[in-house]
Amino acid sequence: MVGKDCVAIASDLRLGSQSLGVSNNFEKVFNFGHVFLGLTGLASDVTTLSETFRFKTNMYKMREDRLIEPETFANLVSSTLYEKRFGPYFVGPIVAGINSKTEKPFICGFDLIGCIDFAKDFIVAGTASDQLYGMCESVYEPNLEPEDLFETISQALLNAADRDALSGWGAVVYVITKDKIVKRYLKSRQD
Amino acid sequence: MNGISVDINHLKKGEVNLGTSIMAVTFADGVILGADSRTTTGSYIANRVTDKLTQVNENIWCCRSGSAADTQAVADIVKYHLEMYTAQQGEQPTTKIAASLFQELCYNNKDALTAGIICAGYDKRSGGSVYSIPIGGSIHKQEYAIAGSGSTYIYGYCNKNFRPNMSKDETIDFMKKSLAQAIKWDGSSGGVIRMVILTKSGMERLVFYPHNYVDSE
Amino acid sequence: MAGLSFENYQRNQFLAAKGHGVPKATSTGTTIVGCKFKGGVVIAADTRATSGPIVADKNCEKLHRLSPKIWCAGAGTAADTEMVTALISSNLELHSMSTSRAPRVVTALTMLKQHLFKYQGHIGAYLIVAGVDPTGSHLFSVQAHGSTDIGFYQSLGSGSLAAMAVLESNWHEDLDKEGAMKLCSDAIQAGIWNDLGSGSNVDLCVMEVGKDAVLYRNHLTPNVREQKASSYKFARGTTAILKEDIFKLIDVEEETIHSEAMEVDA
Repeated sequence: MVGKDCVAIASDLRLGSQSLGVSNNFEKVFNFGHVFLGLTGLASDVTTLSETFRFKTNMYKMREDRLIEPETFANLVSSTLYEKRFGPYFVGPIVAGINSKTEKPFICGFDLIGCIDFAKDFIVAGTASDQLYGMCESVYEPNLEPEDLFETISQALLNAADRDALSGWGAVVYVITKDKIVKRYLKSRQD
Repeated sequence: MNGISVDINHLKKGEVNLGTSIMAVTFADGVILGADSRTTTGSYIANRVTDKLTQVNENIWCCRSGSAADTQAVADIVKYHLEMYTAQQGEQPTTKIAASLFQELCYNNKDALTAGIICAGYDKRSGGSVYSIPIGGSIHKQEYAIAGSGSTYIYGYCNKNFRPNMSKDETIDFMKKSLAQAIKWDGSSGGVIRMVILTKSGMERLVFYPHNYVDSE
Repeated sequence: MAGLSFENYQRNQFLAAKGHGVPKATSTGTTIVGCKFKGGVVIAADTRATSGPIVADKNCEKLHRLSPKIWCAGAGTAADTEMVTALISSNLELHSMSTSRAPRVVTALTMLKQHLFKYQGHIGAYLIVAGVDPTGSHLFSVQAHGSTDIGFYQSLGSGSLAAMAVLESNWHEDLDKEGAMKLCSDAIQAGIWNDLGSGSNVDLCVMEVGKDAVLYRNHLTPNVREQKASSYKFARGTTAILKEDIFKLIDVEEETIHSEAMEVDA
């Protein structure tokens, strides 16, 4: 979600095999410098891709002698996914961050083969995406301060996850401003 | 697929089809190619003014039926080879050479192609000539050829009414009447009738709109 | 690593066979049109992207630039239209640099159709290609299997039937620029209102002989969201927090001081 000079990215913590819950501390949000990547979908692909992007962003950092910016990273994700056009990774990635040069907030989402969805307001992904669309469309408003953005994104996620059997078991929220990142674990239902 | 009977008439899902009525006829001065102008995707007419008569060299043309993508690709490849031939040999290729190129491409790639092609042209050596290359990649030299889904309705008519060495006007009339019947009875044929006339004096194009052919018995 | 990788193909087939849900790709269940006029050509598109019944993007861009004066509108699989356009655009630029000539519309069209034919329709890109070049103005369409069509007006996508109805009834030979723009946006609106896969706004691009191409992003916005009557802002402290970590982003400046010049063998 985009707020006033800030962005937030959140996910639940459940790892499951169909209806069986396997883990309650499976983090799906990764950061590469000041860029954040959320990965939903097949757990093995989430791990594979997060490692791939760790490798690629590290190589980028060494070549360019600077950290990757959100817009650049979005295109990296897109081309990496499209490379596997006919045998895709089963993922639904989202990217969030603040461009360190322009200080503009940036978010975007992707389908599994790398089509970028640029959005000004919010991006959702995962098994509860239908519920999240409903929550966000009603609860979101533009230009929220970081503290208010935290409440909005948290409530959107929590209430959406409660209506999805495959989501929940804890949640984590990152609120990103240009010089500070706040990571909060939320209190949530455990059923 | 057991190697003996191969279903080559299938079309890939959503593929653009030239459910067609096409023909080419030799006459006293050369050859005339004719075609309807309908392309379909399922029951939707994707193009009602298609040009299914494609030039592949100075005086050699072809009529395309089957998959639009496949026949366009094949025609483009043949056109390329004939251009190379002209540049390297310093003379225009004969119709037979062009037809053989079509035949070889259609035969070698028969499992991947849905293409029924009539290749016709005029050259000094043999005058007007018509070669039919149906699905599967065989080649047949004929005095006249008909092909496409609409052609099934006019085998009898053409057989009864074709005469060798007709005049230009007679041939145009024969083709117009034949294609009018094919269009009338075949749902996947329609639109205008296009013709190309190839003689020693070059080529001429004709278009007949529905009001010009519907009552031409 | 040239080309596309099929590494996960078998695994995915297995996963799909075992009953795991396969994620859906976004498709631009779309209305796109193009129309020629005296001295130029117009293309237009709606701005809805869908994944199944869900509207994935309410204001996406379906008009792509192949070169400064050649543009194309894309329908079909969103990622495919995006990527195939980017590929041909880059090859077109290289081609025009090596030939020292402005790129031509037929060149773009041929590159597209040969690429798409190679992939036998598996790259689901349905495009309307239009533009101006030294030989005049042109309008074509390309289907995913690699077939191309030519005409004074074209429509593609799930809303193409609605759009074609408008084009067939209102198109006439001596359209001017304004007439063509009106015709195209009317055709797109037919898609927006009557086709479920199309919606939101009208994007438009005008290419005139001897002039720069002009993109009218959101030329028409007939679906603006109503302002919410009241706010759903939550009071601060609504959400219970278990743990909080704060990371400060700091700049680390590194300075390497060379005490003496590097020694080089004589």
